Amino acid sequence: MFKMIQLIAYREYQENVKTKGFWVTILIFPVIFIGMYFLQTALSNATPTRYYLLIDQSGQYEEAVDIAIEREHQRRVLQDFVNYLLDYRTDIDLDLTAANPSNSVNQLIDDVDADEVAALDEWLDSGGLNFALTMASPYLEEDAPPYEQPEPQFIHAELPAEVNENASPEEIISQLRPYLTGDRQITANGGAGNLFALILIPEDVDQDISRPGTMPTAPDNMTGIQYWARNLTDSRLPDAIGASINTEIREREYIQLGVNTDSVRNVQRTRMPLNQLDPAADEGEEAVSMADTFRQFAPIAFVYLMFVSLMQNVQYLLSNTIEEKSNRIIEVLLASVTADELMMGKLIGIGLAGLTTIAVWLLSFYIFIVSYDSTQTELISEILEVVLSSELIPWFVFYYFAGYALYSGVFLAIGSLCSTLKEAQALIMPMILIQIVPIAMMAFVVLDPNNTIVRALSWFPLFTPYLMLNRAAADPPMIDVVGTTMLLIVSILLVLWGSGKVFKLGVLRTGQPPKILELFRMVRAKH
Amino acid sequence: MQESVLSLTNVEKTYGDFKAVDKVSISIPKGSIYGFLGPNGAGKTTTIRMILEIIKPSSGELSVLGHPSALDVRNRIGYLPEEKGLYKKMKVWAIIQYFAMLKGMNKQEAKNRAWELLEKYGLKDFAEAKVEALSKGMGQKVQVLSAVAHNPELVILDEPFSGLDPVNQTVLEDLINDLSDNGQTVIFSTHVMQHAERLCDHILLIAKGRKIFDGTIGEAKATIPRRVILETNDNIDALKNIDGVNDIEPFDTDDNEVSAKQWQVQIAEQVNPQEILKTCFEQNINLNRFEFNEPSLHDVFVHLVGDEAKEAEFR
Repeated sequence: MFKMIQLIAYREYQENVKTKGFWVTILIFPVIFIGMYFLQTALSNATPTRYYLLIDQSGQYEEAVDIAIEREHQRRVLQDFVNYLLDYRTDIDLDLTAANPSNSVNQLIDDVDADEVAALDEWLDSGGLNFALTMASPYLEEDAPPYEQPEPQFIHAELPAEVNENASPEEIISQLRPYLTGDRQITANGGAGNLFALILIPEDVDQDISRPGTMPTAPDNMTGIQYWARNLTDSRLPDAIGASINTEIREREYIQLGVNTDSVRNVQRTRMPLNQLDPAADEGEEAVSMADTFRQFAPIAFVYLMFVSLMQNVQYLLSNTIEEKSNRIIEVLLASVTADELMMGKLIGIGLAGLTTIAVWLLSFYIFIVSYDSTQTELISEILEVVLSSELIPWFVFYYFAGYALYSGVFLAIGSLCSTLKEAQALIMPMILIQIVPIAMMAFVVLDPNNTIVRALSWFPLFTPYLMLNRAAADPPMIDVVGTTMLLIVSILLVLWGSGKVFKLGVLRTGQPPKILELFRMVRAKH
Repeated sequence: MQESVLSLTNVEKTYGDFKAVDKVSISIPKGSIYGFLGPNGAGKTTTIRMILEIIKPSSGELSVLGHPSALDVRNRIGYLPEEKGLYKKMKVWAIIQYFAMLKGMNKQEAKNRAWELLEKYGLKDFAEAKVEALSKGMGQKVQVLSAVAHNPELVILDEPFSGLDPVNQTVLEDLINDLSDNGQTVIFSTHVMQHAERLCDHILLIAKGRKIFDGTIGEAKATIPRRVILETNDNIDALKNIDGVNDIEPFDTDDNEVSAKQWQVQIAEQVNPQEILKTCFEQNINLNRFEFNEPSLHDVFVHLVGDEAKEAEFR
C-alpha cells in the first residue's frame, strides 16, 4: 500500500514541479517582493520637481517659508548622505579611540540615528554637505562613486509678468488659475513646468491668528494662509509651510512676552530617553532590540507564508483532481489502487510541492541578500535571520501540515464532485473567504494575541492553524494550545475520513455537483 | 468444464428505482475472447465497473480469478475505460511505465516493457513525445498498451475500437488476438458487431440491464431463423414437402425492377440450402434469384434487441 502511495505522490510532485506555471508562481513572489523594494527606492527618488509660487502680501513670512523649504531639502541631503556613508565607508574598527578622526563619520551616523533634528542643526551650522564631504573623504572606500546629492524637490518659481503681486487675492487667484490647473506653464530656473502650488499670504493675515482664550473667527476658508494646489495627497509642502510660519509667529510671541528664544529652543530639545525592556529576557539582555521587535512580528510572516503556500497547493490539488476526473484517468487509477491510496498519494505529492515552494522562496531571498549586499538588505537579512532562528519554526511546521491536511481534504472532496474548474470555483469560494478572516486579523492578533475574541475564534478548527500560529510568539494559555490542537486533530481526521468517502463516490460521478442532502448520503454510505 | 476466470451470479446494480444491471449471470472461460454487446445504455460499462469493483453491486456474487473481489487480484487485471484519457503532460513511454508500476512492476522492468510494446505496435517514434502531442487514435493505442503492459491474466477493454480508424482497428484486433494466443483472457465491450464477429469466441448480449443472450457466436446465430430467398413466377408448392422447410411466405421488397414474385423460405438448422436448389431443378422451377446468407451478428443483434435498442436511443 505504501509503495502505491509513494508512486502516486512522486508522480503528482513531478507533474506539478515540472510545469512552467509552478515555477512562474514560485518565482513571481520573490520577484514582486524584490521588485517592490527597488521600485520604492526608485519612486522616492523619481518624484518630479515641484514648482511653487509664494506671494507674501504681508511681507513677514516669505523668508521663513523659504528657509523651511531649504531645511526640508537639507534634511533629505543629510539622510541620503548618511546612507551613502553606510554603503561606502571603509570597514571600521569599533575599538578605535575617540581621538581617531574616523569617529566623526560614525558620530554623524549615530547622531542622525539618535536625534535627527539636532543632527540637522549641527549639519547646517557646520556648513552642510561641503564640510561633510571633506570630513568623510579619507574614510570612504577607494572605489566609492562620487556623491550625488538629491535634486531639490520644491523650487520657487518666477511670478508671471502679467500678475501684480499687490492686487487683491481674488484677482491674483483668477490670473493664476490657468497655471494651477495645468493649462499654462510657469517659468523657473530658465525652464518651464506646471505650477504645483500657490501659497498666498494676504496682507492682513495676522488678524486671523488664533490664540487660546480668543473667540475663533467665523468659519471661512478664506482666512489665514491660502494654499492652492490640485495635488491633495503630497502634504510635504503645506506641512513645511504651516510648521515654519507657526514657528515664526510663536517666536514673535516669545519676544513680545520677553522670553529668550534660544532658551526656548534649548528647552524644546531637552529629552528623557525611554528604553523598552523585555521582562522575559535574560538578565543583562532585557533591552528590546530591533530583532526583538521583528520577533514579535514574525508570526505575521509565517501566517502569510502559510496562506500563500496553502492557497497554491490546494489549487493544484483541485485542478489535478478535476483533470483526472474529466479525463476519466481516475477509472484506470481506481482499477489499480484504492481510493484511499490515491487520495493519500495526492495529498503527500502536492504537499511536497508546496514545501518546495517555501524552500525556493527562502533560498531566493537568501541569494538576493548575499548577492546584493547593502544597508537595506542588511535589514532584510536580519529579518530573515530572526525568522529562521525563531522558536516558531516547529509551530509553523506543525500548523502548516495541519492546515494543509484540513483544507486539502475539503478541496479534494470538492474537486472530486466537480467536472469542471468552473463548477469547482463556485464551491471553493466560501473556503477561501473563511481563510480571509484570520488573514485580515493577523496584524491585530500580533498586538493583542490573548484577546478574548481571538481566543474564542482560535477554537474554530478552520481558523486554528492560522490564529494559533499567529499567537504562538506570545505564549498562549496552555488550555488554548492543548484544546485547539486536539480539536484540530480530530477535525482533520473527520475531514479526511469524510472527504475520502465523498472522493470515492464523487470521482466516478458525472454531471452536476450533488445537493447537500446527497452529499450527506455519500458520507454515510457504506462504500 | 472449462476453467472460468470470471463469473457473475445474479449480479444487480440499482440506482434508486433504476435498474442499471438486472440479475446478470455469466461465466467466462480462461483464454477466451469475450464480447459484451448491447445498445447504448445497456449496462455494459456498469457491469465492467462492478467486475473491477470500482463500484459495488447492489446484490449478487462475483468471482474474479478465483477471488470474490477484483481488488485482491487487481495486479492481474488490465483495464481500459470507456472514456479515454491520459495525463497530457507525461511522455508516452513514461505513462505506460507509470501504469505498469501501479500494477506492481518494478521501475526498470516497466520501462523496458513500455519500449518493447511501443516498438511492437508501431509507436516507437512517439515514445519521447508528450501525450498532448498525440492524435486521439494514437493516444487511445497508448492507453491500450498501458492497460496490458503488466501482462495481466484478464484484460477488460471498454469500447476499445471507438474513435479508431480502420487501420488502427486492425492493429487493435491483432493485439487482442496476440493476447489470446498468449493465454490471456480478453473481455471487450462494443456496439460494432463486426469486431465481435471477427474476434470473439463468446458473447454476452445485454439490453436495458438484462442479459438477452450469452454463448458462442454459432449459438447466437442459431437464434435467428435461417431463410432462403427465391424469385420465380412458377409454382413452388413442391418445396413445402422438403424435410425441414418450416414455412414459405411471400417476400416483399421495395425493388421496383423485380419482375417475378419473391418468396421467403424458412428452413431448420440442420437443412442444407442445397436441398432446396436441387428440388427446384428437379421440379423445373425457373429461378431468377436464389439467395442464402448466413445471418450476421448484426442480424442477431437487431433481431434480439432491435426494439429495445430503439427504445434506449429515445429514452
